[in-house]
Formats: sequence, C-alpha cells, structure tokens
Amino acid sequence: MLPLSLLNAAQNKPMLVELKNGETFNGHLVNCDNFMNITLREVYQTSAEGDRFWKLKECYIRGSTIKYLRVPDALLDAVKEEQNRAREAGRSARGAHVSGAGARGRGQQPRGRGAVRGGQVRGARGRGRGM
Amino acid sequence: MAGLQSYVDHRVLLILQDGRAIVGVMAGYDQKSNVVLSDSKERVYSMDEGVEEIPLGLYLVKGDQIVLIGELDEAADKAVDLSTIRAEPLPPIRY
Repeated sequence: MLPLSLLNAAQNKPMLVELKNGETFNGHLVNCDNFMNITLREVYQTSAEGDRFWKLKECYIRGSTIKYLRVPDALLDAVKEEQNRAREAGRSARGAHVSGAGARGRGQQPRGRGAVRGGQVRGARGRGRGM
Repeated sequence: MAGLQSYVDHRVLLILQDGRAIVGVMAGYDQKSNVVLSDSKERVYSMDEGVEEIPLGLYLVKGDQIVLIGELDEAADKAVDLSTIRAEPLPPIRY
C-alpha cells in the first residue's frame, strides 16, 4: 500500500503531524498533494519543547518539512478494503470482456486478424506480381 | 529501490534521523522510501530504567527522515525482556 494512498484516504480525518524541527500539529486533514504538502483545519500547534501551544483555524504545511504523520488506525483497513474492491471491480470488468464478449470476441478476433493478414499477404503478392 | 518489498507485512525496526527507534509492521512504502507502519511502537531507551514502549498506531514516516530499516526477528525479539535493557538513547544525527 502506498503512503500517499493512505494520506489521500485520511482526508477529513484527524491526524498528528510532526515537523523536522519537532513542532507538532494536530488537526483534521483538508487536502494533500503528491509532495505531501497538506492543509489542516482546527489545528493545535505545539512547540518542539511541548511547552507552548497555539490554536489555528487552518494551516498549510510544506511536505518537505514533515518528519512523520500519525493517522487513525482504522484507515489501514479502510484503504486495504478500498483497494480490494477496486481490484475486484477491475477483475470483473475485465472478466466480462473475456468471458462475455470474449467468447465471441476471442473467436472472432484471430479470425479477423487472420483475414487482414491474409489480405496483406495476398496484397503483397499481388503487388509483387504487378511489378 | 533495493528491496523494501521483502519487508512488507513484516515487523521492522526503523531508526530516524532524530535518533528515535520505532518498531511496526511495514504496511507499505514508495519510491521515496516513505514508509507506512501499522501497530507501531516507539522504543525509548534510557540508562536508568528499562525500555519504554510507547504505542503509536498507524504511522507514515517520510523517507528523508529514515536512517535505517531492519527486519525484526520476532521470535528473537519476543525473547528479550525489554524491561531489563539499559542503553543510551541514540543521539540525533549531526550535520
């Protein structure tokens, strides 16, 4: 499972972010991108020493300054389930092509291609003779 | 990436640049060695008491903070009574 898919699934969930300088931010994830830049809402900021606190309505954190994120445990199962569902959906969609249309499609396609190839061969021969 | 795949779903030890030691099950990783740890715990070493394990749960650690990832031999690890271990905590890295 990719770290970024976990992060994407964490939208609107509470999380704790620690920066490289030791400051921590507690808040709900509003948005994130592939650089791990994030915006949090209703944030409690704590100084690195843990002795000072600030409350912020919203804040933006540059991904490169982050040390780690702590997210709710339940997210792991949620993401895994979502991935399984996506995989199943993909499989059954592909399966429908192979078994449904496939019975016909598969039978027809090689014949179709064969015909085209045959045509080309004949065409080539024809051209050859022509020249 | 030199084989983080073989650690997936295994319990691993992570050492961070700030000297923290975190054990957890590697749930995933990416190109930048960002790592997802589930059921993770920080191990706090000290000279005057046994190792303290602080539960952290589901953790996403940025790759640029990671110094080391090692697979844990769970049997060997369980055989160790952490409360008897006294050790200096790792210092943060120096630039």
